[in-house]
Amino acid sequence: MKQKIVLIVLLVFLVSSFSFADDFSDAILKAKKNLKSAENKSDEKALIKVRGEFERILQLKKNTWIVYYYLSYTDFTIASTYMKDQVKDKIKKYTESGFEMINKSIEGNPDFSDSYVMQMLLNFNRWIYEQDKMNDIISATTAADEMAKKLDPNNPRYYYTSGVSSFYTPEMFGGGVDKALVSLNKAYELFQTRKEKEDYYPDWGLENVDGFISLCYLQRDKEGDMAKAKEFLDKGLAVNPDSGFLKEYVQKQYDEKNKK
Amino acid sequence: MKLFFIAVFILSLSGISHSQSKDSTITNSVKISGFIKGENSKAIEGANLVIEGTIDGATSDNIGYFEFETDKTGKRILIITAIDYSEKKLDIEIVPDKDLQLNINLSKSNYSTDEITVTASSFTSGENSKVTLTPLEIVRIPGADADLYRAITTFPGSNQVDEGSRIAVRGGDPNEVLTILDQASLNNPFIFDNDNNVSSFSTVNPWGLKGINFSSGGFSAKYGNVLSAVLDLQTYDIPKNNTLFAILGLANAGLSGVFANKEGSLGGTFTAGQFFLRPMLLINHTDADYSPLPTATSLGGTLSYKVSKTGYLKFYADYNSDNLGIKSQTPTYEGYYRGKSKNFFTNLALSVTPTAVSLLNVSVSSSIFNRKINFGILDNTSDDIYAKIRSDFSMPITNKIDIGTGAEYEYSGYNSDGTYPYYFYNIALNAPNFAYSSKNNTGRFGAYAETRIRPHDNFYIVAGVRGDYHTLSQNFNFDPRLSVVYRLSKFSFLKGATGIYHQYAALSDYALSFNNNLKPMQAIHYILGYEFNKDNDFIFRVESYYKKYSNLVSNSTYGFLYGSDGEGFAKGADMFFKVRFKPKFNGWISYSYTDSKRKQYATGPLESADYDITHTISVVGTYNITDYLTAGITYHISTGKPYTPVFGSVFDSTQSAYIPFYADYNSDRFPTYTRIDINAQYIFSFFGKFAVAFLALNNVLDDKNLYGYTYNFDYTRKIALRSNNNRVIYFGMGFQL
Repeated sequence: MKQKIVLIVLLVFLVSSFSFADDFSDAILKAKKNLKSAENKSDEKALIKVRGEFERILQLKKNTWIVYYYLSYTDFTIASTYMKDQVKDKIKKYTESGFEMINKSIEGNPDFSDSYVMQMLLNFNRWIYEQDKMNDIISATTAADEMAKKLDPNNPRYYYTSGVSSFYTPEMFGGGVDKALVSLNKAYELFQTRKEKEDYYPDWGLENVDGFISLCYLQRDKEGDMAKAKEFLDKGLAVNPDSGFLKEYVQKQYDEKNKK
Repeated sequence: MKLFFIAVFILSLSGISHSQSKDSTITNSVKISGFIKGENSKAIEGANLVIEGTIDGATSDNIGYFEFETDKTGKRILIITAIDYSEKKLDIEIVPDKDLQLNINLSKSNYSTDEITVTASSFTSGENSKVTLTPLEIVRIPGADADLYRAITTFPGSNQVDEGSRIAVRGGDPNEVLTILDQASLNNPFIFDNDNNVSSFSTVNPWGLKGINFSSGGFSAKYGNVLSAVLDLQTYDIPKNNTLFAILGLANAGLSGVFANKEGSLGGTFTAGQFFLRPMLLINHTDADYSPLPTATSLGGTLSYKVSKTGYLKFYADYNSDNLGIKSQTPTYEGYYRGKSKNFFTNLALSVTPTAVSLLNVSVSSSIFNRKINFGILDNTSDDIYAKIRSDFSMPITNKIDIGTGAEYEYSGYNSDGTYPYYFYNIALNAPNFAYSSKNNTGRFGAYAETRIRPHDNFYIVAGVRGDYHTLSQNFNFDPRLSVVYRLSKFSFLKGATGIYHQYAALSDYALSFNNNLKPMQAIHYILGYEFNKDNDFIFRVESYYKKYSNLVSNSTYGFLYGSDGEGFAKGADMFFKVRFKPKFNGWISYSYTDSKRKQYATGPLESADYDITHTISVVGTYNITDYLTAGITYHISTGKPYTPVFGSVFDSTQSAYIPFYADYNSDRFPTYTRIDINAQYIFSFFGKFAVAFLALNNVLDDKNLYGYTYNFDYTRKIALRSNNNRVIYFGMGFQL
């Protein structure tokens, strides 16, 4: 009798846990979907709202490290919406919040490569508002780079971030489109076979890789590059037809180049 | 069977409650809404509200409005958070079918996670401080020649000595400024120092520094044996990459590099440089007659090892030497002033964190400085020997109180040997002279304790005491010090400082005192200032100060031995205004007013101090013409430095020389000093590697600034000695290897 009661209690407990797990998964997947939608439109207000969604998920006190990761990612994305008009105090506000969130994520799980990729991205923003600390920015970026690669040498988002960094670094400083293409092509290959451990793990980046490969070809402008640029632009739009980055930015760059 | 049905019943209950919580259309729900505001009733957008333990909540919009529905009832806690604001928890009661309206106010969280510079009169640079001077700005300041000390003189309150790198601060003497490098005292960080009409240069590489803190007064109890100002420098721990960099210019060639192993546990730096003047003189005219031409050599480096996750062991070694001869004229002798010096400095420093929040630094340092001077009958060799062991410990006690404490023992030795003229005004080769040798040494024990307190979010205090004991004079000094900062708003501060500062006289002075009986020189500082600093893009600072001096080394009225009867004061006001319009323009204006008087004798009036330079203005601007081309201009103007004129003379047949009669000490002034410098730097790719080309034109208008006065043999004619810093063009290139 006693055994049967224990069994029933255990069953109830398992079902309850499953309920809460469902709550967490459901909530985080819903927030992730809303994040994608807001990011596509580069909608600052929608992103702020999504940030609130993630922050509330912290109350479930489950896998908070991944929630903090998404808070950091959302902060970074909100900061990106201010890049066009270079609104420095907003870029700084959300970048520093992003750092605070990713540090909390790392405290909870120091072995997640994507957290260090996030640090690399946030450190890029610091060039906008605190160039005078360039030695610190370089050393922080290098440290994050080493950790990201060490923890997951096949993380496509690591190669994407390295590629974007090379794209925006003048050739004389060791960057340039040819160097960027090496990293971006590697990212592209890795995305083809990538499968994340959980469905709520970050899986962003493939259409961004396509977009930046397209931009590299547009900038390099050697024979055959225009066709390659179109090829990757189309690939990216096939992955995410709503991508604002591809539709509003890369497509426009392609159209302008094509006119000439 | 019964148990089976119970299990199914319980399971279905779980399923029902789960599906209810998932259902977006909540029946019997309550609407919670309202507004969130911050300071001055300003709406907060993006604030997050959530019922504790649930995901029921909302985010406020651009007018601070929020609303959400919940099926939770009873006594709950509502958590409100927003970036830059302190979290708030509100007890609420949710009654079924009764909507809840709330108006919530949030207060700003502690403004900075960065360290606030809790010291008046500070200019800092570094990873965790309010930056006002970066290594990039240092190397770009026209006229500074990439020299840290010369760059500092563009800030208020600091004046160059003979247009070189040694500085005098707020009316004090140059020897009242202490340079600290990773806890070690850097006693001779210059080449061509105190050489006749040849400007000194510092040997500190600004690119190797992770922290620069220059305080022109009111500094903490950490620093002992210094009267006026402290330049506290910290070098980098371990480099993050491997680089080799070469530089070749009209007057210098150098090689520097950084290396680190893959694990980041071992790394180092090195620099080697040679200064030479010949190519510079081929292109630029000079009236100076050199023999030999000034040359200098430097060699140095660091080796760092990561002893733990947060601990480092760092060894720093540096060797510098210089040699020059320059023709100089005095009433009794015309010939070459020849000077040679060598300096070897080492420092071994350990930095560890005994606990997660405490820091312990221990260092052992030494230096040997040898100097040889020959000018007329004066022929002297001297050695300054120095060694120090020091430790500093700091930790927070609570989240509002930090403590720091430390102790040090410093050994100084001074040996001098040579031939000296009997009378300072007669250095002819046949002048009366005497041979003199002296050996002197002393130890100094020092200890301090200080606390940093934040009684209120906007109010910081640093209070400390230190004591030092000087073994040679057997004197003890006790120095209480206090600094306060009150934050008036997010960007503005009121700062004040006061304290007692002591400095022991140079060993060469003790050698000329009665029974080593010189008291520690004393200065009491009073400082009050205001600063507005918006993210270092806009800085306005104004500060007033008063320094009361006593026990200064003085001349005895009746004999030639030194005493401690000197006294005086220095008072004034500094203004600093800096703007940065990223990414194009960076510039600042500094102004200082100084009134500094001293008594040279036990009795007698207060007279102008040697660096009583009444008004000084510096204007600096750098402009990024393109992403790769930068140009800059610096304009200095200062009223004349005091000097003591000669008003007559009498012939002394025993010496076959005239004895000058001096007017009151420092009763006359040099003409106003002015100088304009411009420079440009161009960054480009050199065989695929980073390179920078630079061009400088110093003293553009060829202002004939004065180095000093000399006289003809009988003092009937005053001869102006023009500074050798004529209009000079200088260019070179640096490139990565």
